[in-house]
Amino acid sequence: MKNGNRKIWFRGARTIAGSFFKKHGQMGAEAPGSTFLISIGFVAVLSFMALSWFWWWFPYHLFSDEVYDVVVVNAPQSFIDYNQYMQKYRNMKARDYGSRTNWFANWGHMSYFKYNYDGYGWTKFIYKENPALYDFVTYGKWMRENDAYLTVVFPEGFDEKVSARSKDHELPKPDILTYYRTNSLEYTSMKNDFIDQYLHEYQDYMREKNNWAFPDVVDSQIISEPLDFSDEEEGSNVLLDNLGRTFVPILLFIVVLYASMSAGTNVIAGQKELGTFTGILMTPVPRSAIIAGNHLGVTLKTLIPSFIFAVPFLAVPYYWNHGALGPIILHIIILTVFVSAATILISVINDTVVSAQTAFLPVFLIFISVCVTCIQNATEHEPFYLYLPVYGQFYGIGDALAGHPDMAGMAVSSLSTLLLAFVIVLISEKLLHNERYTVSIDPVTAKEIRMAKSGQHTVLDIADKITDTFVFTVRETLYPLMILGFFQMIAIVPVVIDYMGRAEYSRFIADLKSVATVTDVMKKTFEVLGIFMGNPVFLALMTVAYVLMITACIIRTKITFHKKDYKEAFSIAGLPLSNAKKIVKDYLSGFVFGLLMMSSVCLILKLTGQIEITGFGFSTDLLPVFLVNLLMWFPQGASEEVLFRGYMIPRLETRFKKVFAVFFSSLLFSVFHSLNAGYTPLASVNLLLIAVLFALIYLKTGNIWITCAMHTAWNLSQGNIFGLDVSGNVAHASLIRTSHAAGAKDIITGGAFGPEGGLAVTAVTLACMVIVIVLLVRSRNLTRNKDA
Amino acid sequence: MIRVNDIHKSYTKTSETIKGVSFEIGKGTIFGLLGPNGAGKTTLMQIIATLMKPTSGTIEIAGMSPEKDLLKIHSLIGFLTTEIKLDPVSTPDDLFDFFADLYDIPKNEIKQRKEKAFNRFGITPFAKRKISELSTGMKQKISIAISLLHEPPIIIFDEPTNGLDILTSRQVTDYLKELKSEGRCIVLSTHIFSVAEELCDEVAILVDGMIVAQGTVDELIKMSGEKNFEDAFFKIYVENHKEEK
Repeated sequence: MKNGNRKIWFRGARTIAGSFFKKHGQMGAEAPGSTFLISIGFVAVLSFMALSWFWWWFPYHLFSDEVYDVVVVNAPQSFIDYNQYMQKYRNMKARDYGSRTNWFANWGHMSYFKYNYDGYGWTKFIYKENPALYDFVTYGKWMRENDAYLTVVFPEGFDEKVSARSKDHELPKPDILTYYRTNSLEYTSMKNDFIDQYLHEYQDYMREKNNWAFPDVVDSQIISEPLDFSDEEEGSNVLLDNLGRTFVPILLFIVVLYASMSAGTNVIAGQKELGTFTGILMTPVPRSAIIAGNHLGVTLKTLIPSFIFAVPFLAVPYYWNHGALGPIILHIIILTVFVSAATILISVINDTVVSAQTAFLPVFLIFISVCVTCIQNATEHEPFYLYLPVYGQFYGIGDALAGHPDMAGMAVSSLSTLLLAFVIVLISEKLLHNERYTVSIDPVTAKEIRMAKSGQHTVLDIADKITDTFVFTVRETLYPLMILGFFQMIAIVPVVIDYMGRAEYSRFIADLKSVATVTDVMKKTFEVLGIFMGNPVFLALMTVAYVLMITACIIRTKITFHKKDYKEAFSIAGLPLSNAKKIVKDYLSGFVFGLLMMSSVCLILKLTGQIEITGFGFSTDLLPVFLVNLLMWFPQGASEEVLFRGYMIPRLETRFKKVFAVFFSSLLFSVFHSLNAGYTPLASVNLLLIAVLFALIYLKTGNIWITCAMHTAWNLSQGNIFGLDVSGNVAHASLIRTSHAAGAKDIITGGAFGPEGGLAVTAVTLACMVIVIVLLVRSRNLTRNKDA
Repeated sequence: MIRVNDIHKSYTKTSETIKGVSFEIGKGTIFGLLGPNGAGKTTLMQIIATLMKPTSGTIEIAGMSPEKDLLKIHSLIGFLTTEIKLDPVSTPDDLFDFFADLYDIPKNEIKQRKEKAFNRFGITPFAKRKISELSTGMKQKISIAISLLHEPPIIIFDEPTNGLDILTSRQVTDYLKELKSEGRCIVLSTHIFSVAEELCDEVAILVDGMIVAQGTVDELIKMSGEKNFEDAFFKIYVENHKEEK
């Protein structure tokens, strides 16, 4: 009989798993589109936001390879002199070379190497001392440490040997040894170029300088040795390393999560919803086989898209001759097993597909946020993480792709992850013995029964509510950020491409060698954005982008509020179009109000001696920038008002109280602006206050015409009249030129963030807020009196 | 075949849905559970079908306890529920195969059984169609064919003719009679008197989670002193139902 049981177990599990792959199988249904859209949306928002900020950085890291240093061992004085001499020459060349389209710095580096010195204008020489000529281990270490592609080893006393040989030709030629990396063809061609040109020209230079009379004779001999250290290789290919440690694991994990969710959340929950689960429970198949069959089915179904996605990355190990195929596959499989187990558990707990997917979404987002914390570069690498269950799997993908998986870490992490998955499966199986999770009753009845049992909402109901609210808030937050990121990203593309063709970019890239931390990258980003702010093309494109953002918000308002025509959508979004006279009146008064506010801020700053006026006007060639900049502020102010107030507050009000809607949208506004340069905690507070002020005005008037105008007037006068920084952005052309006075205090002026980071703005905003609140209360009293 | 011994079931701490029910059903009988909505019929049926555990009391099916031999009992029970519950994207053909595998029917027998069952109910022309495209009556017939594909000696049938047109309803009652004549034990719940009168050898009237009367239809009519079964039921119901406070 025992044997018979086992037979039923396997046949049952196999049948259930097999049903996932049948066209008309029991488990064939797919997840509904909304979940898919939210997941895609989340990824899209992250990418858009990142790209809109780091466009400039992206091509650099994608296409340049950063490895262009040369280690020089026992450098003779003559070689050091030569390098110094060449350095001046190289600097000059690099600057003169502004017209070259060096988008992809290092492709240019390689292909132009033969024809000009500009190519190794970025080469840094690292001087080391080592008496041993053949100490591969040390050379390998130095090359890794310095990301060098070549090591040049001079014999000790090279100069003396050469000069001795110039007198006596019978002496042996001193050997210059070079060791180079073999991992990439790029390195090979770079080292060839270096030896063929740089070292040979160094010898010519020596001959010329010392007036040696025998030009045909090579004074030393160059022996080139490949140095292969592929096994202990670290960070050999920056492209792969960066992608491998950042985007690839995240994308891979998203694919696994999504595939698992679409295959898994609906299986048991979906069958409960349909009522078909009872039929399966009534068969003589054990519960453990039901869970095992479902788990197997979900795992296999998840593995298919995961591997399709992973194919390009699995091909990498063959193509680049590094990367570890086995570990990558193992990581994918183990992650899938784990995620599928979690999915099944969620599916068992929930009664309907929608509730299962809602419950899965926070898990999904939490998982992805955890993935983000795994973004690392080789120097930040923390081996300890490799030993953790689940996290280690994810963390290890980067290492595996880069070709040096940590086998011990992988073994520990894999086993513990599998164990965890097994525990989850066991829990699911146990739950299937509880009728709460097996008897298909409709969710409302289930909830009633649960409530009656404890007399109050149970943890499950609270969890339901939390996930529901969470999803709503995320969706409503993501939308404005997504369109902001998307259009900003698009607008910035031509400018970045243009910029990459300029000489500044070369210098900028050269500076990037020193960039190490995220803060540095942010700093660099603002440097570039600062440059862009002086580019009329960028300003014009941003103007268009802001108009498109407003359009996108109106369209979405129309859809979400089920309005038939755009006129209604406009008025819901705070831009009623019916009364043209009122619009003009509101807009003008808002503009004047905004100007007054900013003027009083400047007045405070001037009177307290924080700023001083250094001049008036600007040179005529800045006129286009000035005009386009002025033009930009109009849609810019309006777009932020629509995004954070006209659109967001009514949306949030459909679910939350007004107070929360105002506070949340204002907080988002503040957080979003706080990303800017020169951020101070006070800036966040100020921006929050300003946002609340604008929101109050919106509530008072019911439209955002006034705040659009205020926002525009505020930024415009701040940047282009008073010449101050606008939320960390530099305005290039202003009517009045001002600078911080010698004894200026950042706490009052806001420092690099502009006045919005300082106390002067706090004071003005608070004063205005008091006025608006008084007006609000008064109008409320008036209407009350009228009602009475 | 089925022995139910003082079963209690409560979903909440304060009230009981089933308040001590006992009965026994033998081979070749149709046992009807009659009661208004909310009397606890479905709960009781689910307990007999071992989908739920009673809070207290025991049940015994073919001499086995669900605590110990749940899976063995499953292979002896055919359970059908009120609503038609089939996966809409499947076809009758696929569903039959799927459940045949889960019931561990020998591979060579599956086809034969399917032909027999599908011909019996006229499903064959629809065997490759999607469930969602089929009529309610057809779905119910497919549901019966699939639930009974393992030819169980015990059949538990919740509201067998609920929501069916008269033709299908007739087919179903005929089939139940046929199953009875094969010597199977059938438990059905219904609130339709004609069904109970026509089919049931024994009827239990369930009011507020308690069996208030039990016997053949004739016995019950006699006991209540009314003329027909419907009146008898109402009299018994009114006598036993307590209005909620």
